[in-house]
Amino acid sequence: MHAPTPKPERDVDAGIVDELPGELMIWVLIVSELLVFGAGLAAFMGVRISDPEGFAAARTHLDPALAGINTIVLITSGFLAARSLELRLAMKRTAARLHLFGAMALGCVFLAIKVQEYAAKVAEGISTETHPFFMFYYLLTGFHAAHVLAGIVVLGLVAWKDDPRTIETGTAFWHMVDLIWVLLFPVIYVLG
Amino acid sequence: MTLPSVTLAWIALLGLSAATVLVTTGGTGHFSPVLFGGLLLLLAFLKARIILARYLGLWQAPVWLSGFSWVIGFFCLLLLVLYVAPGFSP
Repeated sequence: MHAPTPKPERDVDAGIVDELPGELMIWVLIVSELLVFGAGLAAFMGVRISDPEGFAAARTHLDPALAGINTIVLITSGFLAARSLELRLAMKRTAARLHLFGAMALGCVFLAIKVQEYAAKVAEGISTETHPFFMFYYLLTGFHAAHVLAGIVVLGLVAWKDDPRTIETGTAFWHMVDLIWVLLFPVIYVLG
Repeated sequence: MTLPSVTLAWIALLGLSAATVLVTTGGTGHFSPVLFGGLLLLLAFLKARIILARYLGLWQAPVWLSGFSWVIGFFCLLLLVLYVAPGFSP
């Protein structure tokens, strides 16, 4: 039996940060985004304290079923993105790319549902000035949708430049979008 | 043959999403506000933890997974307190 290989000096010094999978900077981004959306959601629930009836009445204009479908769409998209990395690591490049394209397509489905949702609100004459609920609704879900759009572009780029490290970083961005949605959905669409 | 952990994570996320639909359909008519909000936020927390662990790969870094879990757990608790706060207003 071989003796364990001593860890290089650099690894010992780097410590806990080196345990993070993937690029450090994507984790900095993930934490930053969680803080921004977290502050937004906490502010939303904080403002609701002063007018719970108004918030409940405003929420009846939302469609939680559509948002629920979008949850399924996004977590399935995340699954395809996660599988793409596993496939790329197994040297199955074509399959990995197809999974990334599938994840992008589901991202487009998410956005199409979101556009339909916004169109319904606009048709009802609901704007950011209708009620504070809708200011937060448009701000938080709109900012999230912008991240979905950016994520689709990122997935396209990593499908093109498909080395494993790039795919790991690009799909981590996509999972961050997924992570934010599972926290945003119950707060805005059900509890608000 | 065992399913890859990512596939199991996806199935678990689908199950938790179905549970969210069930709780939402039940609404506050079946549950007290604390239980209703608590269940929904617990389901959200569990989904977030699965995404962190399996999709983002933090199962490889238990210390970080634990750290993220504590922070998101406390955040969900804060949201629950804010959700039930109007019921305690004078």
